[in-house]
Amino acid sequence: MSFKEIIKKQQHNIREYGMYIAFLVIIIFFTITTKGLFVSPRNIGNLVNAMSYIAVLAVGMTLVIVIRHIDLSVGYLAGFLGAIAAISMKYWHVPVFPTILFILALGTIAGLGTAFLVAKMGIPAFVATLAGWLGYRGALQLATRSTGTIIIDNKIFNALGNDFIPDIPDIGFLSGIHKVTLLLGIFAIFLYINSEIKNRRKTQSYHFEVLPRNMFALKLFLISLVIAVITWVLAGYQGLSWAAVILILVVIIYTYITTRTVVGRHIYAVGGNPEAAELNGIGVTKITFIVFGSMGLLTALSGILYASWLRSATTIAGAGMEFDAIAAAFVGGVAVAGGVGKVSGSILGALVMASLTNGMNLLGWDISIQYIVRAMVLAGAVIFDVQTRKAAK
Amino acid sequence: METQPEPTPVVEMRNIHKNFAAVQALKGVDLVLHHGEVLGLVGDNAAGKSTLMKVLSGAYIPEEGEILIDGTRVHFTDPLHARRLGIEMVYQDLALANNLDITANVFLGREAVTRRAGPFGVMNSHHMELEAQRLLDRLKIDIPSVRLLVERLSGGQRQAVAIARAMAFNSKVIIMDEPTAALSVAAISKVLDLVKELKAQGASVIIISHRLEDIYSVSDRLMVMRNGRKVRDHHIEESIDDFRERVVAYMIGARDDFAAETSLVPG
Repeated sequence: MSFKEIIKKQQHNIREYGMYIAFLVIIIFFTITTKGLFVSPRNIGNLVNAMSYIAVLAVGMTLVIVIRHIDLSVGYLAGFLGAIAAISMKYWHVPVFPTILFILALGTIAGLGTAFLVAKMGIPAFVATLAGWLGYRGALQLATRSTGTIIIDNKIFNALGNDFIPDIPDIGFLSGIHKVTLLLGIFAIFLYINSEIKNRRKTQSYHFEVLPRNMFALKLFLISLVIAVITWVLAGYQGLSWAAVILILVVIIYTYITTRTVVGRHIYAVGGNPEAAELNGIGVTKITFIVFGSMGLLTALSGILYASWLRSATTIAGAGMEFDAIAAAFVGGVAVAGGVGKVSGSILGALVMASLTNGMNLLGWDISIQYIVRAMVLAGAVIFDVQTRKAAK
Repeated sequence: METQPEPTPVVEMRNIHKNFAAVQALKGVDLVLHHGEVLGLVGDNAAGKSTLMKVLSGAYIPEEGEILIDGTRVHFTDPLHARRLGIEMVYQDLALANNLDITANVFLGREAVTRRAGPFGVMNSHHMELEAQRLLDRLKIDIPSVRLLVERLSGGQRQAVAIARAMAFNSKVIIMDEPTAALSVAAISKVLDLVKELKAQGASVIIISHRLEDIYSVSDRLMVMRNGRKVRDHHIEESIDDFRERVVAYMIGARDDFAAETSLVPG
């Protein structure tokens, strides 16, 4: 097979590869212009903590957009739930773990409420969640009216957004390196290579087409290298943060659900053709409840991460977060028309947007310029997306 | 009428009535479909043919009349119920999810699972891919890979996928609503070959079509409907020209002697 043929066969993957390349370009650009500050372990750690609450929302938003809806209420809902968490621990003296469970349950119920309006009352999601945007904004102000910003002093709660996973005690060598992070990184590379090879063998045994051997090896090498570099950089500082661990878990769980389970398949079927899904016995209403319920759950998680990161609940917490999440999803290749979009893409989208903000902050660029640059990246990504999709047809 | 015992038909519909508000869409229609038979169903717009097929596929519940599948009386509650009893409908707009691949569409709503963990059934993707490929091979459908997204297929290929899906679960009866509408000439002949292939493999087929030459080339028997009634039900024996002339005469009501012939329906 010639290189040209391989490129042609991989055409539907080009936009995905394009995004990885764009991300790489952004990293290289900021690394050079900040003289290496951008890729310093400390900055990467900050970057991950500062993006985690947006990335978590973007994962939920991806599925909402896949089933042709939108959720504008998630920003203030996250802020409101963060305030409730703070009040619960500080004024109701509820311990941290019951508080977290309570907030997650509350978020899920709020999401199911949105689903009820959309699926049962037939209100367009844009309007239903715009009402949510107003309502949760009011609820947040009401909750924080008497106190103003609520300082959270629970150490475990605050660790989620700020601290790092513990390490095994010093064993004489590799001192200064976070060994648990290193082990996890090696484990991840092993798991990745193992699953790719297994998958390839299985595909071959069914006589389906696979990537040519050298391309496959190159892909394995490059992705393993990326994991190794990230692991080494993080391990050289303080290791993985709790926020990163939570984010990785969310990504793994949601990737699994969307690609391997029946529910995941049905979500994409509903997004692609709701009438066809219904005719084939897939309940569109049920899927709408599942997707908005999951959005609510992730919104609660996002609110917890945000309040934890700030160590407080503020009166304007969550403002604009919904748009960051939506932008991340679109940059990550989610199609407005529905039915198309990967969890991994949205995470990459969130990473791209967070890296831009972070890099421009390091360079001291004016905030007005930052908005314009982000606008151009968002528009550019979607234009690239639309054009490659057109070319593939 | 019959002297020798006939084998039980796969489908028998008796005296089906269906009203929509004040409109009588079906005014007592009978239909018989034998095993391994291709039945053509024609009629002008609003003759009731689609309504009748929706009754048979469980989408509509009739006010009156009975349906027998292999001689057993059934009462369909919804399309899934009819499908469980082996009746599959290929819709005119195909009901495919274009964003998914061929395998996903063939198994849509009936995914094979390896294990269940609460609501999260884990799909057995390799099994489904293999089965989908086998199905395409069996029906001699020429599509390079079951991993192709449906949006990348031609109209004829999409029709083939929709028909393959109907065949995937050993269905007894396949109902096709205008399978050759909006297809190129080459694609039409492929779809008609596919119908013959289904018949050869033992399926019973009902085809609704406006294209009389398509009906003529694949059907064993033809049923004509007009204004919610059956006006002709006969084996296809004549030449295509006689066939077309006669069918059109029944369709537009120039001839209406079915009731008199059989004296089943008064007036």
